[in-house]
Amino acid sequence: MTLEEFTRIIDLYGAESARWPKSLRAECQSFLANDIEARTLLNQQWQVDEIMGQIEVPSFPDLENRILNQSLPERNRSFFEEVMGWLIPEENFGKQVWRPAIAACIPLVFGIVLGNYFSFGVGIEDDGFQYWDDELAMLSLTDYTETSF
Amino acid sequence: MGDRTAYQTLVKQHLKSISHYAYRLLGNQKDTEDITQEVFLRLWTNAQKWESKKSKLTTWLHRIAHNLCIDYLRKHGRMQTQDSFDDEADDSTSKEKESIDVKNDEVKLLREAISALPENQRSALSLCHYQGFSNKEAAAIMNISVKALESAIARAKRSLREKLTTSS
Repeated sequence: MTLEEFTRIIDLYGAESARWPKSLRAECQSFLANDIEARTLLNQQWQVDEIMGQIEVPSFPDLENRILNQSLPERNRSFFEEVMGWLIPEENFGKQVWRPAIAACIPLVFGIVLGNYFSFGVGIEDDGFQYWDDELAMLSLTDYTETSF
Repeated sequence: MGDRTAYQTLVKQHLKSISHYAYRLLGNQKDTEDITQEVFLRLWTNAQKWESKKSKLTTWLHRIAHNLCIDYLRKHGRMQTQDSFDDEADDSTSKEKESIDVKNDEVKLLREAISALPENQRSALSLCHYQGFSNKEAAAIMNISVKALESAIARAKRSLREKLTTSS
């Protein structure tokens, strides 16, 4: 290991050896034991880290209230949020009931409209219409079992 | 109502780290408060832009704070040092402000050295040293590569060491 490599490790991971990469830790320790410049560098970094820890940030006592009490504008909503917001409004019980009901009816209406225009391969036999009186007789649910023909 | 409650919880949860990060970049209380307020306003208005699978909320918020601070610094020049903040706040000095005063010459020296660092180095140092982000997360916040971030941290630390060594 060279001093330059060791310096890079110190720069990246700091003075605390526990933060150094595991694969290089032993090599760093042995280099440190034999190189006075490396020890000086490590001491300097310890000093920098320690002083950096003493640099405090002031507290902002009124900031939380200021943020929580500010008037919030209308949120930018995604399309999904817009739809869900319309479908299940936060207030108004009436809307909370009829809007989901309307949404539930949409597939039904869509199905009726679609079925009206397309046969989807289901053919209607013309012959069936010629015996419509038979059909009506069957539908009348009359019991013919004891009737003699 | 639920949204607002969630918003309030998030503000309480992230306020400290966002305000501290902004302060370390801007160096004065007034701008820090303004930027922090703006960060949370954006959280409210643009919440749908946050992609939970891509990044943690704290990373996303720090990224907003970072961009706002950098924009602010570019518009208004370099950060105000703690000294200028103290001068500015002389009229309303309180015990809390006194508690953050320079403890000794070395602390003062290092604080000045940090404020003199280029924005990207100061930001990298702050995110990794003070905010506890990994290099990868810090790079994502700053929108740079991990290599560029590591280089910025290395240069910053070298510069601070040199400053401290030459002074002593």
